[in-house]
Amino acid sequence: MTTVIMRTTARAVVPIIFVVAASLFVEGHNLPGGGFIAGVLTTTAFAIIYLAFGLDFLERGVLGRDVDLGKETSRDRVVVAYRRLFEYGLAIAVTSGIVPLLFDRPFLTQTFVEFEDVPIYHHVEIASALAFDFGVFCVVVGGLLTILSVVGAE
Amino acid sequence: MTPELPIVVLAVALPFAVAGATPLLFRALGERTGYAGAVVAVTCFGLLGTQYGSEGAVHLTWIPSLEISLRFYVDGWALLFALLASGIGALVFLYSSAYMHGESGLARYYAALLAFMGSIVGIALAADLIAIFLFWELTSLCSFVLIGHYTADDSSQYASRMAMLVTVGGGLFLLVGFLLLALVAGDALGPASAFDLAAMLENPDEMQTALRDEGLFLPVLGLLAIGAGTKSAQVPLHFWLPNAMAAPTPVSAFLHSATMVKVGVYFVGRVRPLFASLEWLVLFVTLGLTTMTVCAILAVASTDIKELLAYSTASHLGLIMAGFGFTSVLGAETGVFHLFNHALFKAALFLVAGIVAHEAGTRRLEDLGGLRHDLPITAVITVIVALSMAGIPPFSGFYSKELLFEAAVEASHVHDIGVLGWLYPAVAVFGSVFTVLYSLRFLSLFFGGRPDALEHVHRPSFALLAPPALLAVLTAIVSVDPEIAVHAIVQGGVDATAVDTHEMHVGLPTSYSPAVGMSAVTIGSGFLAYPFYGRIHGGIRAIQRTRPSLSANWWYDAVVGNLTGSGVWLASRVHNGLLRTYATWTLGTTCALALAGFAATATIVPAELVDIDAPAAIALVLLVAVMAGIAVVLSTSHIAGILTLSILGFMIAIFYILASAPDLALTQLVVETLVLVIFLLVIEEIPEYYEVGLGRVARDAALSVAVGATAFVTVLVTTDARPDGRTAIARYYAERAVPEGGGTNIVNVTLVDFRGFDTLGELVVVALAAISILTLIMMREGGEDE
Repeated sequence: MTTVIMRTTARAVVPIIFVVAASLFVEGHNLPGGGFIAGVLTTTAFAIIYLAFGLDFLERGVLGRDVDLGKETSRDRVVVAYRRLFEYGLAIAVTSGIVPLLFDRPFLTQTFVEFEDVPIYHHVEIASALAFDFGVFCVVVGGLLTILSVVGAE
Repeated sequence: MTPELPIVVLAVALPFAVAGATPLLFRALGERTGYAGAVVAVTCFGLLGTQYGSEGAVHLTWIPSLEISLRFYVDGWALLFALLASGIGALVFLYSSAYMHGESGLARYYAALLAFMGSIVGIALAADLIAIFLFWELTSLCSFVLIGHYTADDSSQYASRMAMLVTVGGGLFLLVGFLLLALVAGDALGPASAFDLAAMLENPDEMQTALRDEGLFLPVLGLLAIGAGTKSAQVPLHFWLPNAMAAPTPVSAFLHSATMVKVGVYFVGRVRPLFASLEWLVLFVTLGLTTMTVCAILAVASTDIKELLAYSTASHLGLIMAGFGFTSVLGAETGVFHLFNHALFKAALFLVAGIVAHEAGTRRLEDLGGLRHDLPITAVITVIVALSMAGIPPFSGFYSKELLFEAAVEASHVHDIGVLGWLYPAVAVFGSVFTVLYSLRFLSLFFGGRPDALEHVHRPSFALLAPPALLAVLTAIVSVDPEIAVHAIVQGGVDATAVDTHEMHVGLPTSYSPAVGMSAVTIGSGFLAYPFYGRIHGGIRAIQRTRPSLSANWWYDAVVGNLTGSGVWLASRVHNGLLRTYATWTLGTTCALALAGFAATATIVPAELVDIDAPAAIALVLLVAVMAGIAVVLSTSHIAGILTLSILGFMIAIFYILASAPDLALTQLVVETLVLVIFLLVIEEIPEYYEVGLGRVARDAALSVAVGATAFVTVLVTTDARPDGRTAIARYYAERAVPEGGGTNIVNVTLVDFRGFDTLGELVVVALAAISILTLIMMREGGEDE
């Protein structure tokens, strides 16, 4: 799959995918999108890099890590980072659910605040659900990439 | 006086707590753990003794939302049974410490024995249907461990499996009976009393009327009878009890005399006031007398002393069952008094059998005889308890058997039972003749000539002799003055099990009555027939040999053997390690169940299927999707197949857009893309082409059609049930999304604000999927290393 066409296309497409994923994530509360969709889209971007350049490039070029070539994928390399990602994601989601308990509200209660007259954006709304959604995003990206790289390494 | 909750709970919980600590205890005490067990049993006995004379229910909250609580009911009947279990339990622990000397697996043995005793005490006192069921099945589990104590012995394993299958199977019938009973009690007495047996026993008439009104009287009665019958080894499920003699002898003494097998009859006595009626009488008296006679005959045919005692136990359980079956107060007296007598003499007999087997080294009846010279004290004990078992006056068994005869004669005065009015007394006498016969045979171990083959017989140690001696003394006291036992404990049991109260009196008969005549006939025939014991024994064995299908054990073997065979056959087809086999069965079964469900509820109306009303754009998109589906099947290379498959997926995404579901479309699009990429990743690993037989193609095609049809019908049926316009839920979300969630995308607001907990659950699923794949791959790598 590591053909020239593939690489060239990937170079152009991957950044666009990331930007789209980010916008889908942020806009999710009001427009189509959200943590899950953004997560899957981000995973797709990683998968394309993986297909076009291979796992080692992903490690060295994108994530900037030192790669020990002889080691097994599932134990020591990228997977650890992915696994951490979904662990943290789960932690973020649960924490965002626990916080309302401190204010004597039920588990996972969400709220939101709106800011008017912000420069450039004029109207900005911050929902506490964004934290929860970020947890969703992390779990989806971490989980799917773990599966992808472990199966791919086979 | 009302019972005290802490004491009752402690008496039930203490054996379990110590059972949990047994491994530690055993490490510290070694073989003296038996004495610790005896201390626990005595403590329980003492705790229960403090509740003597109290009556009433106490409870701990357990599952309040389901109206289930840990409720205990203390009265004369519960105390009688709990005291027997803990009292004989103490003796068995004492005996075990000598008998099990030098055996392996003692920690497990004592732990199981303690838990066993705790569960029996639990059943005796529990007054909540769920708690009763829990303790009931616990006794089955503990007995499974105890009967299968000799894990290396095949017959021991066979017997424990059999006991488990029969008693746990019966327990399931009991559970269904309980649920039906709770249903009726909930209607008749209010939902708070649904599982409360104590409340039901306080209102027996309302319960019986309610059961009859709802037409559940006979079903509930039958289900409870099956549960009690399997536990108490009633015909035709009596066969597990003789096999259970594979257990160590102290266990047999405990199991057969005081505990598990008595639980069934105990429970029959407990619910007797609820159900007492003509149906009750016919069912339980017939069951009980049949068991009594059949098992007495089989006891005469046995060749092993423990086998003889085991069949005799089943026979006596039949007697108790029949006693409770008679609806008059005499019936309750028979049941309670005989349960008490039987526990004393049968525990002693098993302990004697253990002494004989332990000291003489054999259990075969033919190889034993004339032991009175070697074991004089044991011989005296045996005389008392064996004559009590035979029902010879003035020994204790006589009084309770006399009560049975009286109840049998009187049954035709209470209910109009026609021909059964004389059949019941006749069968009772007939069965009792065999009781006399096998009791005398057991006694003959100590009399007559001493076989030459018998080697030197040691004197038993004090710990082996004391428990049966104590039981024999108690039996002797009851024999001399039965009124002592009646006043002390039996009257309380009779009051609890009888429908109307009556002051009980027993004693030696002073004038002629039909029952006295029946006793005379029984004992006379028994003694007259005894010289021909060998011939009777041989005759019954000959019948057993020539007609094996007459025995219930043969049927058990046939059924279990067939089930095992079919299980192996089925497993090799369903569970063969090939992913495609699993997929085939899972999908096929799901389709069959779903379609059968729709067919059964008649939700599919074929006429409505024709009326399809779709916009042209949607029809076009779906048509492309269908074409792509066909192209997937026809494609010659994997790459082409995957690409055409994605066409199908993208068409569905477009369909979602047309149907105004942009969020869904977006999800479909990204997931489809990702799946495409993953497919491209693994495609190189798949073999280019492989041979597939026509049969498999046909099967796969049929399966695909079935899956497609099921999905189609399901969507049609489930969406068709939707009312016109928005549903209440849809309106709820649409109205509250902006004010409460602060977002205009209802789907996302629902996911994170309103149904956040669901989403969290899905996150866990994704995380688990990743972890399990990681584990699978790592495990495989680990396996290759080894």
